[in-house]
Order: sequence, then C-alpha cells, then structure tokens
Amino acid sequence: MSPRSELDSSARAITPIKTLAIGLAAGLLSGLLGVGGGIVIVPLLVLLAGFTQKMAHATSLAAVIPIAAVAAATYAIEGEVNFVIAAFLAAGALVGAPLGARWMSNMSEGNLKIVFGSILALMGAFLVWS
Amino acid sequence: MELTPLLVAAVVLLGFTVGLMSAMFGVGGGVLMVPFMVLVLEQSQHVAEGTSLLVVVPTAIAGVVAHRKRGYVSFATAAPIALVGIFGAFIGARLALQIDAESLKTVFGVFTVITAIRILLDGWKTRRAEGQALGG
Repeated sequence: MSPRSELDSSARAITPIKTLAIGLAAGLLSGLLGVGGGIVIVPLLVLLAGFTQKMAHATSLAAVIPIAAVAAATYAIEGEVNFVIAAFLAAGALVGAPLGARWMSNMSEGNLKIVFGSILALMGAFLVWS
Repeated sequence: MELTPLLVAAVVLLGFTVGLMSAMFGVGGGVLMVPFMVLVLEQSQHVAEGTSLLVVVPTAIAGVVAHRKRGYVSFATAAPIALVGIFGAFIGARLALQIDAESLKTVFGVFTVITAIRILLDGWKTRRAEGQALGG
C-alpha cells in the first residue's frame, strides 16, 4: 500500500470526537506530569484511531510542534531557557531528524511497532519507578 | 558550568541522537535532554525543561518536513490535536498544583506499560503477516 492511500484510509477512520479526546489527553497529561505529548498521542492514534505506526509517528510529531512552542514560550518569558545549549542541541538535531525520518520509512511496520513498543515499555517503567 | 569544546561536542552529539529518535518514533526527546542538562550541564530542572521544549520545535519541524515528502503526515488530524492539546496543557499545569501528581504518575506508568505490551503483541502479529506476504 502506498503512503498516500494509507493517509486516506487513516484520515477516514478517525472521528472528530476521537481527535479531540486524543488532544485533551495529551495536553492534560503533559501539563500534569511533564511527559511529552508523543508518548500519549502515538499509542492513541494507533489503538484508538487505527493509524499505521508510521502515520502515527509522523502525525504526532506535527501535533507536538505548536504544543511545544507554546510551552517553550512560557518558560522563555520566565527566563528559564538556555539559548546557547538550545542552539547546540538543535544543530545536532537538525542533522539527525531527516536521517531518522528516512530510517523510519525504510523499516517494516511490524519491526517499527516492536521497537516503539519496547521504548514505550521502558518509559512506562521509568514513570512507575521514578 | 563552562562549555568546553569537548562538552559542546557531547551536546551536539546528544542533539543528533534526539533528532534521530524523535523523527523515528514521533516523540520529543525530552527524556534524553532533560536529565543530561541537569546532571552534566548543571542546569536547574526548570531551565532544562524550558530548553528541551524549545529544541523540540525545530527538531519536530525538520522531522515533519522529511515525513511529509513520503506522505506520512495527516495535518487534518494533527491540527485539532495540537489546538486541544495546548488548552489541555494549561489545565493540566493548573491541576498539577492541586492534586498529588506522584500517584498519578504511577497509574499512568502502569497504563503505558500495558499499552506498550499491546503494541508489542501487535508488532509480532504484523511481522508474521509481513513474513508470509514476502514468502507467498
């Protein structure tokens, strides 16, 4: 199946109520617990909305941009941002991101689920024990 | 803290890893950045969180640009999630001051592990199906 037809079928599968529920859950939990939105958005897009794993990762990343931007702005206003460190981190990240996107698209859906599931399990365990 | 050339190299390398992980798995990468900034770069917890959030923005944009070329991004889904998500984050931050977030963290952690197991099982099933598709 080509990515385009995956996009079409995934977009049809999700109802507005589900979309709003996912956004609210992601926002509430990140505000409450300080966890990133992706840890909530990716599993919900897969399990609740029937997205493919690849579509869920890419769409979650897009949803995280404005959420992180607003949160970062509130920290910056309080002077709680180190711009020098941010610049060096971003310099590395801008090289890594396109490479990561290519690696993801080359992975099979099944392998991607297994690697993502393993990382998610570690994050969950970390939350329980921290 | 003084940024020696070696430390700068470590920070850029960490950024590279964050970019890689973030684009592959759709998560921000704060899990890696915040502890490093607190423990190695001696930043306060707040500055580490604020800086991490700022880095997530260009990183996620770079990931989305690359994913978009391959047709993986549904903006029709991402936009409402982001809008409601910003609203939810404000409420969540207020609620955090009033309720015991520690026990909630444990509940959410357990829930996350269960979700992870479901996705792992799903992954094994998908892999088997993919193997059969290749074989047949």
